[in-house]
Amino acid sequence: MNTTLRIPMVLLIGATVLAGCKKDGDDPATPTPPVNEEELITDMYILFHDDDGNTYEWHASSDEGFHHEHGEGGEHEHEGELHIHGDDLPANKQLHAEIILLNRSVSPADTISHEVLDEGADHQFFFIAEDVDITFAYEDADDNGRPIGLLSGWQTGASGSGHVEVILRHQPNKEAAGVSGGDITNAGGVTDLSVEFPAVIQ
Amino acid sequence: MRIGILLSYSFLLLATAAGAQTPGCDHVLRGRVIDDHDGTTLGFAHVVLVGAARNTATDEQGRFTFEGLCAGRYLLRFSHVGCITREKELLLTGDTTVTLHLEHHVVEFNEVEVAAARPDEHVGQAHVQVDKAEMEKRGGSGLAEMVAHLPGVSVLRTGPTIGKPVIHGLSGNRVLTLNQGVRQEDQQWGSEHAPSLDPLSSDRITVVKGAASVQYGADAMGGVVITEPVELPVKAGLSGELRAMGGSNGRGGGGNGLLQGGVKGVQGLGWRMQGSGRYFGDQQAPGYVLSNTGLRESGGSAAIGWRNPRQGVQLYYSLFERDLGILRAAHIGNLTDLRNAIASGRPWYTAPFSYELDVPRQQVRHQLAKAEARRFLSERDQLVFTYAFQLDERQEFDMRRGGRSNTPALDLRLRTHTGDLVLKHYLSDRIHGKFGASGTHQENVNVPGTGVRPLIPNYRKRSAGLFLLEHVDLRDHLELAAGARIGGAVLDVFTHNSAQEFITPRHEFLNHALSAGLNWSIRDSLRLRTNISTAFRPPHVSELYSEGLHHGSAAIEIGDAALGSERAVKGTVDLEAIALKGRLRMDVTLHASHIAGYIHLRPDGYRLTIRGAFPEFRYVATDVRMHGVDASAEWTFLPRWALRSRLSVVRARDLLAGTWLFQMPADRMENSLVFRTDRAGTWRGIELAVTGTEVWRQSRVPEGLDFMDPPKAYRLIGLSASIARPLGQGELRIGMEGYNLLNAAYRDYLDRFRYYADARGTDLTLWVRYAFGRK
Repeated sequence: MNTTLRIPMVLLIGATVLAGCKKDGDDPATPTPPVNEEELITDMYILFHDDDGNTYEWHASSDEGFHHEHGEGGEHEHEGELHIHGDDLPANKQLHAEIILLNRSVSPADTISHEVLDEGADHQFFFIAEDVDITFAYEDADDNGRPIGLLSGWQTGASGSGHVEVILRHQPNKEAAGVSGGDITNAGGVTDLSVEFPAVIQ
Repeated sequence: MRIGILLSYSFLLLATAAGAQTPGCDHVLRGRVIDDHDGTTLGFAHVVLVGAARNTATDEQGRFTFEGLCAGRYLLRFSHVGCITREKELLLTGDTTVTLHLEHHVVEFNEVEVAAARPDEHVGQAHVQVDKAEMEKRGGSGLAEMVAHLPGVSVLRTGPTIGKPVIHGLSGNRVLTLNQGVRQEDQQWGSEHAPSLDPLSSDRITVVKGAASVQYGADAMGGVVITEPVELPVKAGLSGELRAMGGSNGRGGGGNGLLQGGVKGVQGLGWRMQGSGRYFGDQQAPGYVLSNTGLRESGGSAAIGWRNPRQGVQLYYSLFERDLGILRAAHIGNLTDLRNAIASGRPWYTAPFSYELDVPRQQVRHQLAKAEARRFLSERDQLVFTYAFQLDERQEFDMRRGGRSNTPALDLRLRTHTGDLVLKHYLSDRIHGKFGASGTHQENVNVPGTGVRPLIPNYRKRSAGLFLLEHVDLRDHLELAAGARIGGAVLDVFTHNSAQEFITPRHEFLNHALSAGLNWSIRDSLRLRTNISTAFRPPHVSELYSEGLHHGSAAIEIGDAALGSERAVKGTVDLEAIALKGRLRMDVTLHASHIAGYIHLRPDGYRLTIRGAFPEFRYVATDVRMHGVDASAEWTFLPRWALRSRLSVVRARDLLAGTWLFQMPADRMENSLVFRTDRAGTWRGIELAVTGTEVWRQSRVPEGLDFMDPPKAYRLIGLSASIARPLGQGELRIGMEGYNLLNAAYRDYLDRFRYYADARGTDLTLWVRYAFGRK
């Protein structure tokens, strides 16, 4: 009977030793503080200026990823999470637009648009106007001479109101037909941003 | 008349084999199978002549015959309900008569494995097995693929290289995987990764298709997949095997080697070493490359054990690593991307074939260390203690900006200690059983530095259980078993809530399970197994605390901390019959189950974010009723020629919502034409099979839950061939497997990547195996 007990005892001691062999950060009771999502985009600004020095601003911000309210009742509780604000744009004007992307969940806020510029060949913005007369042209280029869209020209037409959808694609196929001209149809890739701004031309 | 019915179809194969005799191949092997325990003969024992692809069943007097055998070395494998499978090697030089001893209900000391050491482990439970020969044919694939052809079993896929077994519609942590007698814990992390183990380190896979919590504890609701371990040698002498395979799809291959032996002068001391690897590039679908679906796998294990008739001890260690790419086109940004992917019908990203593993990719590592000690307390009673430690590591790399693609987006480390103490006892000659206690200590840690909020929080789980399982032999042809388990678990979660406050909620679960079953040999040609059992599963941490975006499905998943344990009751009836003088064998399993508190994801509107719209899913509990039938039949319609059919049908209803249950396997039927012959020249054990697999469209789906209609029905044609010959001191076996020979473009309802791309196209695999030395 002695050996019967001896073997489990040895195993138990071995188990304890194994259990004790832990690297730093291996205690589940002390998780790392809440991680701030490094690549999160919380804010998109589109800053417009015309040749006369007038400026306009569109802004979309999202709580997604770092703040979440538990509410009652299903479908509508998250509606307020995306906040969109936009100045009216002047009619029949050539505007220059610059896109700034921020991650405000980290302190200080991180300018994600710098990462987009650094990896310009892997990113492209697309602009789609609905029910409103705006034509778009890219005013920047990546290392291969293809557009990114952080800088763009917006030619507004007659007064009216509609929507402008701004989409950022990660790893699009910029060589596909129409893509460098701003047509998203054949772009492929992964959507990093997709915001539909209400657009008013006065 | 009766004896005639008893003869297995292989007798008929033999009868014609005799017609094609070659000189020196007219030996007859006769034998009897005897119960070692009381000296009675064992009727209906299964006898397999391994290597010659022959099998038969003994008659009422326990007799069997193989005719027309060539001289040479053979391995006889024999088994009987309620007995341990045994093997005997013999050298055939002329007509030979052997007596084979099986121990009915007595556990041998040299059965080292807990999982294999019990008499009939699963009295009344429907179960199916994949033997080594069958495993070898599918040696280029993972565990799920090896059992996928069994009736009642299907595969839940995440692209072409990730698969996990589904038993009667249940999978993931509702199906327990038992590897080397130890619960495989890596399945705790969700459905998008396969069990981290090398199935070829085992000799046999058993799939139990009933609820089995009494024996195996939590999670064994749908069933259990057991990779049965191999016994260590006890006598001096070296043996081993080498195996290599290459596959056309993925343009890769793999191999494994095994070496084992005893130690001269130390009776009872044995060792085994085993290693394996696989290396594949991108898989190919009809018409395009499935970019970034390459795979690298490597594993190894070592075991050493010593035993004598009084006691034994064994140490085991294994390491398994898998690094695989995830279909690039399955990485999407938002719901619009998903809809575009579905609408286009083609992956949005394809590139020329490559062996490179790019992001997204996953890297898993599983290590298992096990120590086992056993002691016979009397002639029949024994005490077995097992301690095991598992370390599971998983890293996932995603497509990220700012050079973060080489930083894991998910980095988990799971440590599990388990201890089991089992007393196998005899109350009388007819009543025997097991009493056991088990404990588990598990810790899950998110390794810092990912820069991403973890989907699964840190936790510590401690659980303990006690069980008793007794068997009664009422008469020689009727065996009853009944058992009960009580199990408790304490789960401590360490996480930050939505307001970023540190919280440490505790969950306690107390569960019990019961089981009752019987094996009844109604006639020698008709056997009934029936079982009714309960099972339980405490909710997983992700079901309680998940909160975030799930890449790949572009869905936001939200847990519910108030969820309780799932409780299942499942009944199975399994009928096995032999007719037409052994030319027809049939096996039908009926199953029905009810699961209270079945946890699943239910859609709950959309969330609009700066990245676009995402569907939101919440973990909710419902009650589920499932039933179905698995059937298989093999009819030897001509000597050497047989038709084999396998059918699986499952129906599942969500009782609270009044709808069908999501993601249930479609009806499937497999028909094979099999040709077997004993020899051709110096070759022997020739087997050729053409298989058509028919999968119907899953039309029973809940409304509005899926983004895409279930895929169309499809049909696949497969081919399998193998042949063997003696070579030197061993045996050489060569085989070929063909999958999807017509290169059909199809998508499977149980493939989570069915939104993005077709399943893989034609694959031709060639394999060769050489086994040498004495066992």
